[in-house]
Amino acid sequence: MDQDAVLARNAAAGDVAAFTALVRAHEAAVRRFLGRLTRDGADDDLAQEVFLRAWRSAGAYRGDGSYRGWLLRIAWTEFLGSTRAAGRRAARDQSAYEAGQPPQRDAEAALDLARALAALGERERAAASLCFGEGCSHSEAAEIMGLPLGTLKSILARARTALASRLEIG
Amino acid sequence: MMSDDERIDARLGAFFSAPEARPDEAFVTRIERALLAERKLAAARVAAWRRFRGETAASLAIVVAFALLWRLAPAGLPLDQLAVGPAAAALLVLFLWFAVELRPAATGW
Repeated sequence: MDQDAVLARNAAAGDVAAFTALVRAHEAAVRRFLGRLTRDGADDDLAQEVFLRAWRSAGAYRGDGSYRGWLLRIAWTEFLGSTRAAGRRAARDQSAYEAGQPPQRDAEAALDLARALAALGERERAAASLCFGEGCSHSEAAEIMGLPLGTLKSILARARTALASRLEIG
Repeated sequence: MMSDDERIDARLGAFFSAPEARPDEAFVTRIERALLAERKLAAARVAAWRRFRGETAASLAIVVAFALLWRLAPAGLPLDQLAVGPAAAALLVLFLWFAVELRPAATGW
């Protein structure tokens, strides 16, 4: 049993310290994923909701996949719920999205990536972020997004084509 | 030999790659505090529910006792004798108890 599984089991038993260790290990991935999905300054609030929901349903993690994947699935569900509830999807401003992207190794490349991502739909953005950004396998990304594997591959192919075109990769 | 897709995926992976960051302790602390607050709230909710059940049971017991005593009282008893009887005393105790429990300081309002 890996360390995350042990910590998750202890967290399910109410051990706050164990859950805090899980937060420390995975907060960067969750916040990075949410940061690529949404750009309205609500990332940390949303990330907090993700971790609180993970705490409340800690017993639901069965250890049949990675804990990070389980958290990213909660993050994706929370993101969809928040955008639907607030009706932000239509109102989201592309320039705000671009302005909020964190600096990476190369600021220009980061801005190019932000612009390219902003042009994608939510599902394409999520699939690309999971597979290219978080190193998830196709089946893991499909599991996280609650999609059949074939659908995920189609979405990812569209994302790949659009990103390659915008980033002039070919 | 890499296929076109694999080559593009590798290039995209380079665009997406972010430097390994150390854990954001401020965020971790924020979550930890939220968890502890939630746990305290849950404990308070359980305690309040338990107290409510206990007090409801006590109230019902008093009301039932009052009803039984009232039914046992002899018919045609003068009103001034009823006022000092056990049923009236129970009613007074119940009233005082409610008055104490529902005062602003007790309910936290």
